[in-house]
Amino acid sequence: MPLSASEQSRYHRHLALPELGKDGQERLKAARVLVIGAGGLGSPAALYLAAAGVGTLGLVDCDRVELSNLQRQVLFDTAAVGRLKTEAARERLLALNPEISVVAHTLTLRAENVLEVLRGYDLVLDGTDRLATRYLVNDACVLLGKPLVSAAIHRFEGHAMTYLPGRGPCYRCLFPAAEEGVVGNCAEAGVLGVLPGVLGAIQATEAIKIATGVGEPIVGRLVTYDALELRFVELPVTRRADCAVCGEHPTITAPRDAAELCDTEALAQVRRLTASALSDLLASELDSAGLVLVDVREPQEFNTRHLQGARNIPLADLARRLGELAGERTPVFVCRSGRRSLMACALALRGGMAAPAHLEGGLLAWAADVDPAFEVAAG
Amino acid sequence: MSCTVRIPSPLRSYTAGAATVTADGGTIEEVLASLERRFAGIRFRMVDEQARIRPHIRLYVNTEEVQQLSQPVGARDVVHVICALSGG
Repeated sequence: MPLSASEQSRYHRHLALPELGKDGQERLKAARVLVIGAGGLGSPAALYLAAAGVGTLGLVDCDRVELSNLQRQVLFDTAAVGRLKTEAARERLLALNPEISVVAHTLTLRAENVLEVLRGYDLVLDGTDRLATRYLVNDACVLLGKPLVSAAIHRFEGHAMTYLPGRGPCYRCLFPAAEEGVVGNCAEAGVLGVLPGVLGAIQATEAIKIATGVGEPIVGRLVTYDALELRFVELPVTRRADCAVCGEHPTITAPRDAAELCDTEALAQVRRLTASALSDLLASELDSAGLVLVDVREPQEFNTRHLQGARNIPLADLARRLGELAGERTPVFVCRSGRRSLMACALALRGGMAAPAHLEGGLLAWAADVDPAFEVAAG
Repeated sequence: MSCTVRIPSPLRSYTAGAATVTADGGTIEEVLASLERRFAGIRFRMVDEQARIRPHIRLYVNTEEVQQLSQPVGARDVVHVICALSGG
């Protein structure tokens, strides 16, 4: 795919690198790279890949830009708040480099569509903020034989690792299983805005190396980055013979959606309280209503501000401490957004408790609908 | 004998935010017990009731992955605790 005169000018600094040169730049032009998640990681990754001249850049996201995104998601400006991320990102990337194609996939990846979306690309960058999607994308990449550059962030820490088909371990080899609530998630715990800049740039670097055949990707090497200590650590990861998807006897032979707690039929038994309904219950005294208020956030979040009468059992400790809730009163779980409290309900149901309740929308809904002065900790 | 332990971000709520702590013990099991004495609850976040390393956790002594909790740890070793992250 020959370069035009304007492309030769635009990519001059790449062409000046003997390791890349004209051949490498033409490979980039021919490359089709899919970025999953136009968030903290996807923003810098997509910007650098567009600037580098990746010919076809796909973006997967179903969200709209929120004001709280702008602290780290450098693809977007204030005027984009409220717009679909894929549309705003496409405009921004084409303004940066009109020589490339940007494909917007405004959807949620699921078992039924993941192969179709990924099939059109040569390599995949995973910057999603959902564990279920991480596993889904990993499995699809293994099944399709696509390279995957994975990264994740939490507070001041980030991870990156690359999977190359047939050459090294996949994400399931690294972490065979994980559940939301027991691993680090930025929505609740916060994240340093510049952190995904470092990890997203690593992902873009890996993509460029793989597309051009230059350098050595981080295959079988987990790179961890601690921004507070400014420390990179590299740890070896080997392929697991018993890996469910890339092992010797795989049990995952087609994409499947994770059995997400939120989707289980059991959760139909959960009593979902709106903020105003909970407020009414509190006014009538929880005790007399036969309820006990359990805040499942981390201790530092709880200590910032919590509802009167609530006790703190972080979600990660709940399975072990369910016995403390045994008794006649029904637990009402609360958290920041309603996500962890729903998971707490699932744990309580598994533990044999009947009809646990949770605050829908979490304390954010409480602050919005009941008490505007209630300060909800970022984590 | 004490070693250095690097604590992953999701478990730093147990260590008052400390990224690096010291722990006593000549094996990983003893190091985890030492951590538990100082930071109650942290061991259970890394290993389950059957003393198996949880699937979203990896432990390393320096750059060697821990397979058994009986793995020896030396005085100058660094134990890395790695926890899956989901943020993007």
